[in-house]
Amino acid sequence: MIVVAIDIGGTFTDLIGFDDRAKRFVEAKSLTTPSHLVQGIIDCIRKSGLEAGAIDELIHGSTIAINTLIERKGAKTALIVTKGTRDVYAIGRGNRPEAYNLLFKRHLPLVPRHLTIEVDERMLASGEVHRELQRSDVEAACDTLKKEGVEAVAVCFLHSYLSPDHERQAGAIVANAMPDAYLSLSHNILREYREFERTSTTVVNAYIGPKVGGYVKSLNANLAEVGFRGDLSIMRSNGGVMTPEVAQERPAAMMESGPVGGIIAGARVGQALGIGNVISFDMGGTTAKASLIRDGEPTMAPGYYVGGYASGHPVMIPMIDVVEVGAGGGSIAWLDDIGALKVGPQSAGADPGPICYRGGGTSPTITDANVVLGRLDPDNFLGGQMKLDAEGAAAGIKRVIADPLGMTTTEAAKAIVEIAINKMSLAVREVSVEKGYDPRDFALVASGGAGPLHVLAIARELHIPKVIVPLFPSHFSALGMLLADERHDFIRTSYHDLASVDFGNLVEVHEEMAKEAMAGLRHAKGAELQVHLDLRYVGQEFTLQVPVTLAQLKKGDRRAIRTQFDALYEHRYAHHSPDEAVEMVNIRLAVVGKRPRLKFPSLKASTKAKPERTRKVYLADPNKAVSCPVYKRPSLGAGIRIVGPALIEEHGTTTVLYQGDVCKVAPSGELIITVKGAK
Amino acid sequence: MKKPASKQPMKKLAVKAKAKTSVKTSGKTGKRPAAKLDAVTLEVIRNALPAVANEMAADLQRTSYNMMIYEVRDFCTALIDPQGELISQNVGGVSHFVADLGVIITDGMKRYGAKGFKPGDVIITNHQAVAGQHLNNVVIYSPYFYKGELLMFTMVRAHWIDIGGMSTGFGAGPQVADPWFEGLQLDQLKIYNSGVLDDTLYRLIKDNIRFPESSLGDMKSQMAACRLAARRMDELFDKYGRETILRAINTIFDETERKCRNVVQALPDGVYEASASIDDDGVVKGEPVPIHVKVTIAGGGMTIDLSGCSLERKAAINSRTLAGARVAYKALTGPLDPVNEGSFRALDIIIPEGSIMMARFPAPMAGWSAIVPTVVDTIVAALAKAMPEKVPAGHHGLLGGAVVFFGLHPKTKKRFVVQSLEGGGWGGRPFEDGESGTVSVCQGDVRNGSIEGIELKCPVVVEKRGFRTDSCGAGKYRGGLGIDMQVRNLVEGHWNFEQTRRTKCPPWGLWDGTPGDTGSYLLRLPKETDFKETAGARLPVPVGASAIVRTGGGGGWGNPLERETEKVRHDVREELISSDAARELYGVVIGKDLTIDEAATSKLRKEMQSKTNHTKGD
Repeated sequence: MIVVAIDIGGTFTDLIGFDDRAKRFVEAKSLTTPSHLVQGIIDCIRKSGLEAGAIDELIHGSTIAINTLIERKGAKTALIVTKGTRDVYAIGRGNRPEAYNLLFKRHLPLVPRHLTIEVDERMLASGEVHRELQRSDVEAACDTLKKEGVEAVAVCFLHSYLSPDHERQAGAIVANAMPDAYLSLSHNILREYREFERTSTTVVNAYIGPKVGGYVKSLNANLAEVGFRGDLSIMRSNGGVMTPEVAQERPAAMMESGPVGGIIAGARVGQALGIGNVISFDMGGTTAKASLIRDGEPTMAPGYYVGGYASGHPVMIPMIDVVEVGAGGGSIAWLDDIGALKVGPQSAGADPGPICYRGGGTSPTITDANVVLGRLDPDNFLGGQMKLDAEGAAAGIKRVIADPLGMTTTEAAKAIVEIAINKMSLAVREVSVEKGYDPRDFALVASGGAGPLHVLAIARELHIPKVIVPLFPSHFSALGMLLADERHDFIRTSYHDLASVDFGNLVEVHEEMAKEAMAGLRHAKGAELQVHLDLRYVGQEFTLQVPVTLAQLKKGDRRAIRTQFDALYEHRYAHHSPDEAVEMVNIRLAVVGKRPRLKFPSLKASTKAKPERTRKVYLADPNKAVSCPVYKRPSLGAGIRIVGPALIEEHGTTTVLYQGDVCKVAPSGELIITVKGAK
Repeated sequence: MKKPASKQPMKKLAVKAKAKTSVKTSGKTGKRPAAKLDAVTLEVIRNALPAVANEMAADLQRTSYNMMIYEVRDFCTALIDPQGELISQNVGGVSHFVADLGVIITDGMKRYGAKGFKPGDVIITNHQAVAGQHLNNVVIYSPYFYKGELLMFTMVRAHWIDIGGMSTGFGAGPQVADPWFEGLQLDQLKIYNSGVLDDTLYRLIKDNIRFPESSLGDMKSQMAACRLAARRMDELFDKYGRETILRAINTIFDETERKCRNVVQALPDGVYEASASIDDDGVVKGEPVPIHVKVTIAGGGMTIDLSGCSLERKAAINSRTLAGARVAYKALTGPLDPVNEGSFRALDIIIPEGSIMMARFPAPMAGWSAIVPTVVDTIVAALAKAMPEKVPAGHHGLLGGAVVFFGLHPKTKKRFVVQSLEGGGWGGRPFEDGESGTVSVCQGDVRNGSIEGIELKCPVVVEKRGFRTDSCGAGKYRGGLGIDMQVRNLVEGHWNFEQTRRTKCPPWGLWDGTPGDTGSYLLRLPKETDFKETAGARLPVPVGASAIVRTGGGGGWGNPLERETEKVRHDVREELISSDAARELYGVVIGKDLTIDEAATSKLRKEMQSKTNHTKGD
């Protein structure tokens, strides 16, 4: 079997494939061509040397969904709402997260007010019909929208998470009157209460729908043209994959499909090594991302704000919880007006890039600092394809940072790297301690071009004892896509005191969701169903997702559920209140269709590693370089042990080992590093 | 993990006396010698301290029991040194908490002395003689010891849903004549003594507030946040050492001050003044409450003098707060930077004792923050001439539109309270229109209640939440729009229609912009056809009434006649303004088909311009 994953990123399109029979990996990389994404994919397959017809399964992740939203290049979209709620989408929650900023910005609606149309209908929170849907209102709305040339329609009625009838009826009218328009009904996208967040999610889906849906369709067609007969799957933000059909209906679900690939890979690599608790740490060109994986399962967030909390668009579709900081290889070091040294969040990006890229960049970056410290070899960057300008990098750091602060150039370079490490450590810490976990109980899996360069310093800062540098760290997202299962997440608001929940009804809701999920699964056989209840103490707003079993629901085992909630609460917040009433807000179902596991080849054992050369590198002391052996990763066999200081170079990244760090090469190829001085 | 601070052996309790000049009155820099720290350590500590306060805030918000904390974010978390200086504070939430924290600690130190605090102590206080805010804002704080030395206090001030007295929440209105009417007064009491709960005090509180499970649950959350901060500080001190951390804190104060000075330095020296007024104090009807500010800028220092504001009132709109001046100063000098004591060192604030904002106990303070947003806006307006490119026109300026409807559900026999805060319009800006439907300058990450959430919990139907066409002030850049929130009650209950009003001083325009419309409350009883303006606290209404909570719009910035005609057309098309307003305020003539009549527009604009010139000439 040949399985191929293609990940379209901002700069590069990455392909990684695995031939099950030949036990062989295939890699290819090409520049992303934003105007011809589909062509880029076809080119990448060609470049890899694979026959399209021989590929059994192709998994694809793309930035097209998020870029369409952020660049505001989506469809002309309209919104049909309950009478009285025309402005709910624009008003949002009325908040100003930047409390002291007089010139704050609110989210900028994707639908103008004149394309937001009210119709007469009303459901109540009890599920009763308060006012029947006036079909003529919907028909009149369609007439207006047709005249306006609207390409996509979102429908969001109050309480449709509970009673979707009116939305369905309105949807049927729209589908009939505007057969070419892309249609999203809010209860199909998100069956959770809170009308603003549900509206925003639905509007985002409709807004990007035509473009992303068209893309998926044309990808399917173009692949068929070059002879591909296998299964196409699309990566989604929840860490699973979906069929192209599901993707066309729910494009908002693929918003963060790129970054989550790496997290899935982190989970799988950990599991294969028998380490269930890992923190995946990815550092690329502009940002660093951290995500927590417990017992092999990534942690989920109920959604997020595209464009940031202060002025972004809420998209409340479950996704893998990621904490991101503006620290990547291209992050710029600068002095603020009182002379304090700052790193990021501005990035030199790929263009002009760091000074050492010779692309015209003049601002010193984290990558420049690493070159100055000798941690990146100017002659061996990307396997020597790109010669870096070390003098330029040093001159830039000297001019912008070192001279004004009265430091030596290497002192300044080290300061830049350390500030970045601290920022990233805070992010890694945020994904763990804020959820009640101790980072020392986790192994850190490093990926991205800049991850392995910094990971050991971060581990030391947080007292994390073990670091893993996986295979293909700079293609890690694509690797994760190879390994991802199918996954669909469902949610239903069902608001009751836990004491009076009708479990029979919950079981019915569960069945209903499961049925819908199974229908969209390609790998339905042996699919796993995970149920969570969103619970809280009566009076609270924030809920905890408490894992429960179907058996507990069927038995109506209130006490067990209650105990689980209290225990989780205690773990998370270090206190709980067993005497207080608990209420239920939502039931969630995740359905995981298992894809066949790939068996990667193991590495040949060898006993002795020979450094290719030695190089002067600044590690602990910025004024005294140490002589550091440099190993080529491809030359390292299983069982090899390397004690730091040392550099391990491979195509696309370098692992930096500090004094006393001990690296062992696992039989499956990962570098397993014991951090000196931790614990 | 590390041992909690409270379990560490207590060897000596030392508080270093720092050479300290008054924060409020000194504009001088560099009061403590700050030795050179390396840039990295300094930056790391600079990032770490606000992270601790923010982590406290996140913890509190997720575990709290009342919407004033989790939705309104009506709380703050802070680290404060024994001299009362602010080491760090959470970002976001209610802006007016940026002041008045240090006084709690200096007062506590006076009462107990440095040696009077023990590890494991938890102090509770809300007494207005020092705290100066409504009694619902309950402060919980704990001493933080490192290796036996008292180095700082961890503190959470949070709005409890009830504190006893005449009414829950804000129900009582300005008629609350004194603090005893308002509720339970707690004056620097140790609820935990060396880790041991004072059960008598606990029961006293429990029996004298209306929702003890909620408020005492919140107290637990406040204490948990304080403990969390202590753990984080232990980690920091262990890593960097006492000397380095303390030195870094001083350096951070100095550098923050320098940053603020740099901003003010760029402004032309001078004296800037502005005035506003509140319709009345709610007790003496019809007598305006004057607000006058005088801002002096001299060589990087700023003095905000509020001596021209009203004297303290017999109505409950008094406070003891520096918040008005501090919020304005923060907004103008570095709105996105974390707050610490240095943020305000280059600011002198003058508020005489007995002023409405430096009221003396037992002046009533139940509505302590009601006028603060107007004060902030007036200070900002005074500086419009000094920083024309940064100052927007006036915003709706009130903490409302507060939606407060409560009662007893006849079926479930449970009490319910509908609570939401609706935003209003903000002023036009020097380069763009103001935002619509957003909370005031004193409320940051304060969220309205979702309609579905309200209806899930309470027997009401929200009939409308929408923008008010034409509520915005006109300008080259218009103001944002106010909101109408219309609620129909399905069971009988009580509405609170009490709020500060500014009908005589609507949200002002700037540079020839016109003012925004003001907000109000309206009521339609069953069988009535029209809504009528209404006021009053705890107003009983029968089943089937509808109320509108109406918020004001923002003022316009610049001459409306200079607004691009295409923008005016856009606003008409979007029904944000009417075509009448387009013609009368902007001189833009728009046909039924939404096309601009260019000739008529050009003629009308010329006429209007010459009329204004004429008026100005007079």
